[in-house]
Amino acid sequence: MAMKKEIFNQTSIELSQSAEMEAFHSRSHFWGRLTLWVLIAASLMAPLYLSFVLGAHPGWTPIIAGLVGYAAFVGIMWVLEPVTYYPTLGISGTYIGFLTGNIANMCLPCSAAAQNAVGAEPGTKKAEISGTLGIAIASLTNIIVIIFVVLSGSYIVSILPAPVETALGYVLPAIFGGVLGQFAIKVPLYGTIALIVGLIILFSPIFSLIQIVLCVVITVAIVLYIEKLKASKE
Amino acid sequence: MIMSEVMEVANSWPIWLIASFVVFIVIFQALIFMKISIKTAPEIGMTSAEVKQSLRTGFISSLGPSFGIAVIVVSLITVIGSPMTLMRIGIIGSAATELTAAGIGANAYGVELGGDNFTLEAFTTVVWTMCLGGTGWLLFAALFTKSLGNIQKKVVKRNAKTMAIVSTAAMLGAFGYLTSQQMVNSFSHATVAIASGVTMMLISFIANRRNISWLKEWSLGIALIVGMSIGYFTTLL
Repeated sequence: MAMKKEIFNQTSIELSQSAEMEAFHSRSHFWGRLTLWVLIAASLMAPLYLSFVLGAHPGWTPIIAGLVGYAAFVGIMWVLEPVTYYPTLGISGTYIGFLTGNIANMCLPCSAAAQNAVGAEPGTKKAEISGTLGIAIASLTNIIVIIFVVLSGSYIVSILPAPVETALGYVLPAIFGGVLGQFAIKVPLYGTIALIVGLIILFSPIFSLIQIVLCVVITVAIVLYIEKLKASKE
Repeated sequence: MIMSEVMEVANSWPIWLIASFVVFIVIFQALIFMKISIKTAPEIGMTSAEVKQSLRTGFISSLGPSFGIAVIVVSLITVIGSPMTLMRIGIIGSAATELTAAGIGANAYGVELGGDNFTLEAFTTVVWTMCLGGTGWLLFAALFTKSLGNIQKKVVKRNAKTMAIVSTAAMLGAFGYLTSQQMVNSFSHATVAIASGVTMMLISFIANRRNISWLKEWSLGIALIVGMSIGYFTTLL
């Protein structure tokens, strides 16, 4: 219990607000937005080329039908994901994470691991910079691995021994369990609560895409409530 | 016959060129954010040793996930060709999302993915669907990250502690759900998640107690390897 209190009740919790961080945030906004807008333009180049340079335009009706189908499939995540992950990714993390993708299975774990390695507490300036470094290098590693795999015509994947390939099939439970373990050692009670809330929601008849958002909201509410109780006791 | 014609276009140099540009943006962005973080680090009292530690830890921890992603990437190459795979997987959107999107696009054109009448027009519809669909996240992040930052600032101004709590609790909530979702998949998945979680706790405990910094950097990497190895062994049972 003593350890648990230390996490949030430091009197000198360093705010991530200062002149230096203001400068960092405004640079992040500038480069983050610039790279995202350029990427949006670049994303449209391939279909525009196929449609109007090669002349293989299928007509707008199937394109719109495709987009509507896509929106019905995951469109809700366009809004929910950035909002859900923002509190943990922060400004710079959001710009990198939503450009490079693989947020839950790579960006967040790498950010948390980097923060943990330098002993940065959540919400501090150090946590923000350390997390950004962790995500940025993860994005770089990921794209380099993908380039090699694609350029080698999947040769790299084909030479992986069968046991390694089988093992890689378990990368998701391993990474999710590992991250949960990292946090659970600091705040075991909250880790347990999160896992229980997760299981309950998973088995509830709730639209599957919003389940994770609900789990985040409920866990945050419970944790805030417990912290409030603790504060009023002191 | 038609499919090979489509694949010829899908692997042509203009598509490679566009894919290279997308890859360039991803690399450029990662480097620029590293640069501004490294510049800010000393100003907030972070040592260069801590900067290196953060980078090393991020690198080590990203290897497992990156190869995990690479393995599924292969399934996409046969459907949409190499350069298109590179540009779709290199940015937001997972292999599963892109595969489903490709199916949706083909259906919108009234054909099946890679089927007999999968013409170049059908392929173009697929590319439009994937590219426009993926843009949703990019647009939202480009337009609203600043607003989210402003909300955060207001919360922090009122109560700094609250933001730290929300940040940790949101992480726990997300990973509590993601872990449970994986655990109910199969006995192996559940074993892997538990093994990896316990390994992580043990390593963190030892690393913190004895203050072994390299172990802190490797902890997630080791937990991943232990978890995945145990996953492999459960398949032998």
